[in-house]
Amino acid sequence: MLSRDAASLFWMARYLERAESQARLLDISLTMALIDVPEDREEQLSVPLLVTGTAEEFKELYGDVTPQNLIDFMLLDDRHPASVFNIIQSARDNALHVRGNLSADVWDSINLSYIEMKELRKTGVTESNASQIFDWTRARSHIFRGAAYGTLLRTDAFHFMRLGTFIERADTTARVLDIRHKMASASQDEHATRSFFEWTALLHSLAAFEAYQQIYGHNILPLNVAELLILELDVPRSLHACLHEIVALLELVESGDARKARRMANSLYANIHFGDRDYIAERGLHEYLTDFLERIQAISGQIQKDYMGWQV
Amino acid sequence: MLIKTPEEGLYDELFDLNNRVRPHYRTLENWLINSDEDLIAEKRREANVLFQRLGITFNVYGQDEGTDRLIPFDLIPRVISASDWQKLQSGLRQRVNALNRFLHDIYHNFDIVRAGVINAEQVFANPQYQPGMQNLKLPRNLYSHIAGIDLIRNNDGDFYVLEDNLRCPSGVSYMLENRRMMMRLFPELFAEAPVAPVDHYPALLGETLRAASLKPNPTVVILTPGRFNSAYFEHAFLARQMGVELVEGADLFVRKNKVFMKTTIGPQQVDVIYRRIDDDFLDPLAGNPQSMLGVPGLYGAYRSGNVVLANAMGTGVADDKSIYPYVPDMIRFYLNEEPILKNVPTWQCRLPKDLKYVLEHLPELVVKEAQGAGGYGMLIGPRASKKEISHFRDLLKAKPHHYIAQPTLSLSTCPTFVDEGIAPRHLDLRPFVLSGKKVQMVPGGLTRVALKEGSLVVNSSQGGGTKDTWVLEDDLC
Repeated sequence: MLSRDAASLFWMARYLERAESQARLLDISLTMALIDVPEDREEQLSVPLLVTGTAEEFKELYGDVTPQNLIDFMLLDDRHPASVFNIIQSARDNALHVRGNLSADVWDSINLSYIEMKELRKTGVTESNASQIFDWTRARSHIFRGAAYGTLLRTDAFHFMRLGTFIERADTTARVLDIRHKMASASQDEHATRSFFEWTALLHSLAAFEAYQQIYGHNILPLNVAELLILELDVPRSLHACLHEIVALLELVESGDARKARRMANSLYANIHFGDRDYIAERGLHEYLTDFLERIQAISGQIQKDYMGWQV
Repeated sequence: MLIKTPEEGLYDELFDLNNRVRPHYRTLENWLINSDEDLIAEKRREANVLFQRLGITFNVYGQDEGTDRLIPFDLIPRVISASDWQKLQSGLRQRVNALNRFLHDIYHNFDIVRAGVINAEQVFANPQYQPGMQNLKLPRNLYSHIAGIDLIRNNDGDFYVLEDNLRCPSGVSYMLENRRMMMRLFPELFAEAPVAPVDHYPALLGETLRAASLKPNPTVVILTPGRFNSAYFEHAFLARQMGVELVEGADLFVRKNKVFMKTTIGPQQVDVIYRRIDDDFLDPLAGNPQSMLGVPGLYGAYRSGNVVLANAMGTGVADDKSIYPYVPDMIRFYLNEEPILKNVPTWQCRLPKDLKYVLEHLPELVVKEAQGAGGYGMLIGPRASKKEISHFRDLLKAKPHHYIAQPTLSLSTCPTFVDEGIAPRHLDLRPFVLSGKKVQMVPGGLTRVALKEGSLVVNSSQGGGTKDTWVLEDDLC
């Protein structure tokens, strides 16, 4: 397939995954801020900014960290390149580029998100209707996924799209885990309930709360959470699950001479696949995740070099 | 709903001169008068939403929000009887055959010029003539693989060819999507009327493009200027329907006079390019050096015979308004047949005799630039002010060879949904003619309709809309 089309599909899927995770993050922070003690509220609300690395930009545009400001900034603001509005627009731009590779259903799912998002910007979103918007974002994401799984040919177009999804997802899981873990450990000694909240929030924002309950019961221990989100293959947003997909997809795409991205992905995969909780504990979760983030970004860069970059 | 009858003296597609419904419109008329106004309004809204969702939109530059605009779609189809279509089809086949023969001739033996049918200056001094195409052997001697022929029906009830489009005619996606929309909104109508299908067009186009190369299994691509082009939707639509790659100039490169596309597994050779970019922008080394849309070296690869362009370069000379008057002569010259379709009588202002006539009859004529397109820079005599007419008189005297003139034809009308209900509006017809191993077309075309009352300008850039076009399979109903 055309290199440029592969790039567009890859980024289209990354953006759509990002829109969903951003909505999840924001949703959880707003809810958690409600239960939090007033003096910690701002810190709680700042989590999505920290995870996405946009705290500075937010400060410049809005100043105060209030729920409404956060909603405006993260969902609708067209000045903010990573607002859900702009992310969906970028996804649609990429989809427009590769319309020839998309089924009518997949195109429709993305285009309709864009059309409805434009409407949403006109009416605006407040604290009271925000949760409906979060539901909407999640639902749109599910519809895209369903349309993609249900109607696309299993060709390289599909594989490059999924690569984008799992690279983005691995990246998000690692970041959220890192930030929440930092906050939970800081408050662990002074405030046991606070740290419980942090871990609960973390699990919710990665749609893994119920999975935790099923596997470990309701007693939330930090190392269990880390194990679940890093090592557990059956949890759809775990790093292990993401890498598992990435490695399989890189085997599926027609590759010619390109081996480097595959080698890097397989090496990181082996590290997780044969890893255990003691190794993570020994290394320290933060160091472990920092290393992971660097490597997943390098893999993403290498995929783009191997398949999408061109020097004639 | 009530259908407003047409003005006297105009040919209406639905009503005959005595305001009786023509037989091939009976099913439709029956449906219209029995349709409830609210239901129709509801369906119109539905169509609008569906088109938005499909993304069949126009890109309009310089607007912030909502840069995507829809071409208005009218729910009332335009119906063509089976017998009318039979005649149109043979006429179109004949005409496109002759035009392809003409193009081959003027780039090879110049027979038609030698025979004195067209004078040399008309052909070789035409800015659209590409000397570089001389003696280039093209597979099957085909130049215009895809032609869009604009027709109108005049007062006398006959179809006339208004214009031949032999470069990159667009609009076929509207023909297909309009049909799909009608079938979705009013499936019951199709159960009653024997409407000939059009949805095999992409298959025929694919067949035509593969036949454009003599290789057994040629790789075909569509070359688009990109997603900011107003016809981008159509380029993507056709690529998807045919299962070929949609490429931009930057996706292609030329090495050793061969064209390759950049794929995830390395270079892949391209054999046929269905290009939706004008000649001048195809190759910055040969045409416009500023072109960011083209492929450097493409022209050399083309000259070497390693890639086929559809349509060929240099077809513009044959659809030029100054060549148009000669098409009937071409048909006689190359095919030894009488033209089946009528040409609009045309005065060529470069000829002193014609110029004299035109200057004397300006208020009743339409004057057009020989090289213009899109309905700009023209004078419609009967609607022009004295000042405009005298302005054109000066233009004609100064540069007579820039202009042609034609009688003012009244385009036929067809009932159309407008604000006040259902009223007659003027329309034209563009069927798409494909030339490969043989000349083929699907029964139908793009019907454009001028939505403003009395307006004769159907161009979408100037407020025109589109309709589904029905060709009936038989005229018994």
